[in-house]
Amino acid sequence: MSAADLARLQFAATTGIHWLFVILTMGLVPLVAIMHTRAAYTRDPAKRAVRERMTRFWGQLYVINYAVGIVTGLVMEFQFGLSWSGLSKFAGNVFGAPLALETLIAFFAESTFLGMWIFGWGRMRRGVHVTLIWLVALTAYASGYWILIANGFMQHPVGYEVRDGAAYLTDFGALLTNSSALVALGHIALAALTTGGVFVAGVSAWHFLKGTQETELFRGSLRLGLWVSMLASFFVVVVGEMQRPVIERTQPMKDAVLENSGSDVAELQARLVKEYGPGDYVPWQDTMRISMDVMTIIGNTVSTITIIALVLLWKDRLIRWRWASWLLVATVPFPFIASAGGWVVREVGRQPWLVYGELTVEDALSRVSTASLAVSCTVFIAVFVALAVTNWTLISRFARRGPDATQLGATEPLPDDAPEGPGGGGADEQLPVPAL
Amino acid sequence: MSLETLWLALLGLLLAGYFVLGGYDYGAQMLHPFLGHREGHIEGRRPGPQAERADRNAALDAMAPFFLGNEVWLVAFTGVLFGAFPHLEGSLLSGLYPLIVAILVGLVLGNAAIQLRGRAQGVRARRYWDALIVFGGALPAVCWGLVLGLLLHGVPRRPDGSFHIGLGGVLTPFVMACGVTTLLLFAAHGAAFVALRSGPDVALKARQLGALLLRAAAAAAGLALLLTLFGAGASMTNRAASAVVVALFAAALAGAWWSLARGHRVRAFVATCCATALPVLLVGAGHHPYVLISSAGTGLTVDHAVTDHATLKILSAFGVLVVPMILAYQAWSWWAFRGPTGRRHPSYF
Repeated sequence: MSAADLARLQFAATTGIHWLFVILTMGLVPLVAIMHTRAAYTRDPAKRAVRERMTRFWGQLYVINYAVGIVTGLVMEFQFGLSWSGLSKFAGNVFGAPLALETLIAFFAESTFLGMWIFGWGRMRRGVHVTLIWLVALTAYASGYWILIANGFMQHPVGYEVRDGAAYLTDFGALLTNSSALVALGHIALAALTTGGVFVAGVSAWHFLKGTQETELFRGSLRLGLWVSMLASFFVVVVGEMQRPVIERTQPMKDAVLENSGSDVAELQARLVKEYGPGDYVPWQDTMRISMDVMTIIGNTVSTITIIALVLLWKDRLIRWRWASWLLVATVPFPFIASAGGWVVREVGRQPWLVYGELTVEDALSRVSTASLAVSCTVFIAVFVALAVTNWTLISRFARRGPDATQLGATEPLPDDAPEGPGGGGADEQLPVPAL
Repeated sequence: MSLETLWLALLGLLLAGYFVLGGYDYGAQMLHPFLGHREGHIEGRRPGPQAERADRNAALDAMAPFFLGNEVWLVAFTGVLFGAFPHLEGSLLSGLYPLIVAILVGLVLGNAAIQLRGRAQGVRARRYWDALIVFGGALPAVCWGLVLGLLLHGVPRRPDGSFHIGLGGVLTPFVMACGVTTLLLFAAHGAAFVALRSGPDVALKARQLGALLLRAAAAAAGLALLLTLFGAGASMTNRAASAVVVALFAAALAGAWWSLARGHRVRAFVATCCATALPVLLVGAGHHPYVLISSAGTGLTVDHAVTDHATLKILSAFGVLVVPMILAYQAWSWWAFRGPTGRRHPSYF
């Protein structure tokens, strides 16, 4: 493999795996925030206890996934400089700004507030604690916005001019309202909510199949998960379709490949050769079309399943009819597959461009030796795959164990529960009693 | 002061903040097997899920609430590096390729291990996570030291501004001495932090360990200084400024050692914070106006590294709002979880 192939493989593999964590993180956090808000403002103590257990159970699954998401995200921030320094040379003046703002506005806040939320159980006032998880949710989506502004510039560069071989920002407003970014953000947000909703509904259905005692907790979760995923999966298809006119306008080649129109593809190839010099301007057609079909079929199927499941909630049929519950459990992985398909369509369809019409992927490659790239590519893929396996093993383990095994928010025994130890005690007894 | 200088100062602040906050994380990670389990917490637990958590560790507990907020300083540093200094970012990260990859691998494994260790079943799985936690602290600490050493010494830049660091560039006595100094310094800093946050028994152990590590760090730093004086080390552009920063660094190390030995835990931690932040100032002030040198007085200047002025102005409009907010909510999180660790702290990691 050439250096360019290795660098592409490294970027694609790490981004693809990172994306699978991100979509669940973005899908779960609003649900956890809703659960936490309901728990915090419930008066009836018994109901409140159930809702709080519910928040901690789903919150823990979210936090496990976030842990792996954040560490892989850390690598992403470095990738452009590591392997694609041509990008910062050409587009650094434009492309760097949204990335910088993403870290300062969103990533920083998300991580700090999540740390406080995890360790704030029993220590923070209710209102403050609930606000924290909403801030985490808000900043997660803000992060998505800025990343898509950067990605939108790669798909459809706007608000810049080229002087002496480098891009300069001329219209920040145009950059921030890039249609290629905004419609994609809507699509991705809805896809994430579909993923999160189906995950919550599927895990809840599994617990009913296993005869859980926590019927109230899982009935509430099932209802919330189904409503969210039903609405989101309906609109994700609609917004997905809304991207087609944007693609047609901004990326004719991607559009021609998706339309499966051989004559258009050939004609565009000839035109691009004339415009940009000899080269292959056609992305991998079969890969793109298969990915598109997979995404569309899954999207429509999930949408149908969630609507039927929601109807079956009436008189508890969904829980009594075991096949229906099993169907929901089996649906859990599919939104992930669909979102990977969508990512392939968007990014493979951009090839051979890094910045559409301005900079090719080949030209942006850093001057890094093939040997270094081979080593780093192997190491990163091995580590990321290991993390993905660990993540899903842990999530399914804690999802199966149920709310009893939740560690999140569990405070240690009070001093009168445990004998005073020689080391651990001391000044901590003087701390103010938490206000929860 | 020009906008360029302000953004360079912010870049320095973010990197220094990362060294201080990430530094004690790495130190605590490296020392956690030696600072042992918190006594008195295994017997008398409630049955149920709590009983499985006989795995508490004082060092990890000390840093837990701050951990997620600490690592993002590095992310913000990278973001600002790309946004405000794209021409430095491209050549620096690709030039230091093997070191950056090593840092990232260490960070990924260490961070994942810290957050997932508490989810482990059984002693064997936990041992595996524990080993990764130590590795994930030590590897970035050493590599950041090597990066500092290379930045102080200068890198072989080609005419087009790119460079490539191989094994030969790293395996010089000066760069190695910088790596060892940073490793020991971060470890000592972690010990001072654990001493500050823990109960008396653990704190005593951490103080003794910290004092020992500080002496070793001072010896390694002394070696780097000697090499520089004999012409085989750093080639500083601004000699006088560098000498002042080095003197401050030496004073911080001595102050930290003295305070740890006397049991002034707050003072000791403040001193190790200064000691971990000062190397960043040394690179920045010692080479100004260069941000990446090939040798003293030649290299990439701030003006060449910085982004276009129009972009910088837009970034500044956001920065004026966002940077004080960041500092405010970070300070809030430190305040909310102040005080020593103990039973009333929810444990999660």
